[in-house]
Amino acid sequence: MHVLIFHLLSSLAAIKAAILIQRWYRQYVARTEMRRRYTWHIFQSIEYSGEQAQIKLSVCLCSLWVLIHVKVIFPISKTYAEWERYFCYKNIEVPDIYSGPHLTFPLSVEQAVGLVQAFRDKKQLHSRYVLQLLLETWKLLRMLPNINRISTCHSKEITICGDLHGQLEDLLLIFYKNGMPSLDKSYVFNGDFVDRGKDSIEILLILFAFLLVYPSDVHMNRGNHEDHIVNLRYGFTKEVLTKYKMHGKRILKLLQKIFSWLPLATVIDQKVLVLHGGISDSTDLSLLARLDRHNYVSALRPPKRRNTSSAGISIDSDIDEDWSNHKVFQRRASFTFPKPLGTRSSFQNRSLQDFSDRIKVNVEEELETCRRRSYTFNAGINRVEKEMAPCPSTDSVNSDNAKEEWKQVLDLLWSDPMTQDGCVPNEVRGGGCYWGPDITDDFLNRHNLQLIIRSHECKQDGYEFCHNRKVLTLFSASNYYDVGSNRGAYVKLGPDLVPYVVQYQASSMTRELTVRQSVGRTERSALKVLREQLFAHKSDLISAFKTFDSENTGLVSLTDWASVVESVMHLGLPWRMLRFQLVTCKTSDGMIDYNEWFNELNIEQGLLETLYRHRSTVETIFRIVDTDNSGFITIEDFRQTWKLLSIYLKMEFTDEAISDLAVTIDVNQDGNIDIDEFMEAFRLTDKKSQKGTVLKNLKC
Amino acid sequence: YVCDAVLCYHAAPAPVFFDFKEAFGLFDRIGDSQVAYNQVADIMRALGQNPTNKDVTKILGNPSADDMANKRLNFDAFLPMLKEVDALPKGTYDDYVEGLRVFDKEGNGTVMGAELRIVLSTLGEKMSEPEIDALMAGQEDENGSVHYEAFVKHIMSV
Repeated sequence: MHVLIFHLLSSLAAIKAAILIQRWYRQYVARTEMRRRYTWHIFQSIEYSGEQAQIKLSVCLCSLWVLIHVKVIFPISKTYAEWERYFCYKNIEVPDIYSGPHLTFPLSVEQAVGLVQAFRDKKQLHSRYVLQLLLETWKLLRMLPNINRISTCHSKEITICGDLHGQLEDLLLIFYKNGMPSLDKSYVFNGDFVDRGKDSIEILLILFAFLLVYPSDVHMNRGNHEDHIVNLRYGFTKEVLTKYKMHGKRILKLLQKIFSWLPLATVIDQKVLVLHGGISDSTDLSLLARLDRHNYVSALRPPKRRNTSSAGISIDSDIDEDWSNHKVFQRRASFTFPKPLGTRSSFQNRSLQDFSDRIKVNVEEELETCRRRSYTFNAGINRVEKEMAPCPSTDSVNSDNAKEEWKQVLDLLWSDPMTQDGCVPNEVRGGGCYWGPDITDDFLNRHNLQLIIRSHECKQDGYEFCHNRKVLTLFSASNYYDVGSNRGAYVKLGPDLVPYVVQYQASSMTRELTVRQSVGRTERSALKVLREQLFAHKSDLISAFKTFDSENTGLVSLTDWASVVESVMHLGLPWRMLRFQLVTCKTSDGMIDYNEWFNELNIEQGLLETLYRHRSTVETIFRIVDTDNSGFITIEDFRQTWKLLSIYLKMEFTDEAISDLAVTIDVNQDGNIDIDEFMEAFRLTDKKSQKGTVLKNLKC
Repeated sequence: YVCDAVLCYHAAPAPVFFDFKEAFGLFDRIGDSQVAYNQVADIMRALGQNPTNKDVTKILGNPSADDMANKRLNFDAFLPMLKEVDALPKGTYDDYVEGLRVFDKEGNGTVMGAELRIVLSTLGEKMSEPEIDALMAGQEDENGSVHYEAFVKHIMSV
């Protein structure tokens, strides 16, 4: 009998023990999930505010551009034949030691597969073949409509992939799991092939190769990153110039054209719409189908003016030209520059100096206005339209029409869905809009569609349905924010048009980390980035803190601290939750010493360190100034750039400090500054400051 | 080092209203400043509590399965529930060690990993196999035994 009681008691103890452990475990899971959520939130809000900064910057610089170029210089046009001569690859020799693939055209499927294999083996395609492949791609894309209409009858299943962002590993994983494109295996790639990851050009070459081999079975939609201005900031420009030192400029120029010729959307079985960003309340597919998509070289700049020669031959004109290749330089008399502008050779390395005195006042005013105004891209469009109006042109575009078309393209590439009804400008990204479920319903009804598949946003599971399962977001770059941050996914559609999602995660490293380790790692990464951002806004934050600290005690309450930080950073993060990770200095009675806090956020406060925080912006500006993509800018351009930067960043740089910096950076004293060397100096500074030493020789 | 923000709530003398409000906001997926009934248990756990699912269901007023999936709760209604859960006994180091000692057949400070797995998957609020794998990762020695005092120190340090 007592044996039974004993068993009963020990069973009860066992149950109690089990429950205790289970309770603890579920708590652990919930806390880890919460950390994962706010870490995600940090990365995403920084990513979008970076995009917003990029757009603000480029609209600013666009106005500047207009002042310098359009009023002064008449755009040069080439026919397509002339462009093909410019991009000619025929005189590029392939050396014997080259061990990569040799391509012959027309391309065969074996060559496309061979290309995939070669890239998997870390080979690089020779620039001759790159140019040749890109030329063939350009020719093909020019024949495609803005909206591709495809059918599941043709090949039974269509596979749709989202953002790849230069992550070759993910594309290889997709091909491994799903098979490569073929007559029986149709693919739609939904934009954002480039930027951020390190193999953007390889991904493009693979996709274009398959596009050439199977033009009816491979379809590509343009994404917001298929845009040379965005590429300046997010790494693609740098990748191409680094991998292709001799011919990178031409490759980039050709890619500019190719990007503008990428179709805007794909419709499957007349029922499923696939596009990169999304829609707005004004999205009109018939308007999108009609417009001249290649006029939108960048969605962030106004459309090119289209000219046709008297013989009716269509001409592809550009506003920002590569001057070094012109036979004749045509100049129009302008109102601002009555003097001759100089010979062609003086424009080889076009410098802001020539215009600087005249336009300096205008530019500084421009930038100050840019700075002061609250920015959405709509404001930017209005401003640029006004600037464009007085310029001479042979074929003036109806400006209202152009504005409407531009908005359509921008919305398509940059919009995000939201949970509330309605349609509002996308202030977070700075372009496109947020659209609600009512807009989706209305749009689908009007166009007789049943589903929208889009990408553009990273999702933890690689995909996410919203708007009552009428909108599917698809993201194919796994571990996008950091190792272990998210899975990637692709979607298969058969004739029943029911989406079948397949998820994956590249990188074997992820499997070895436990959930906790992977969340911890990502979290540390996110916090590091966040601390940098906070420090970069030090002056704004300190002024804001002072408004809450009228007695100048140097202390603010936690509640005030959180509201100040949010009002300056605009990241929408749970600051109170994060305070333990962000503020480690001791607080008395829950008050935070904000000066002490900034000391703790960083050691050095020199010019170089401060600038390092803004390195993305700095590098972008440099690359814009380096108009011929040579990798060099003149000392004078450098000085002018810092002046612009100081206005934009609201920082005080003395002329002396800038000159000292310029002289130090120009190591070989030839009057030119190598952009890469300059950015490298930044990187070394960061490394040293992490180790706690002061960089004496670059003291400013 | 990374200080676990949530652990620090235990050190704080009283629940801090705004901190909890932020956490609550993180779980609101729709944007109506409310959370679903079926999220309430996880939010409480994220805020440093460790109720059983049954405890939470009771505090929510024993809703049906349908209610759990569809009904939503705002922060003002959530806060008193959180306080109620906070009053429940939490489990100290000794409680855990004593609980595991039940399975220590030889009285030598270890329990058989295999036995623990069976218990966790069949008794109380059952755990799934992947959950148990995650919990036990790296805890069993080459004999398949778990040194439970070290184990408890480990789980309490998270």
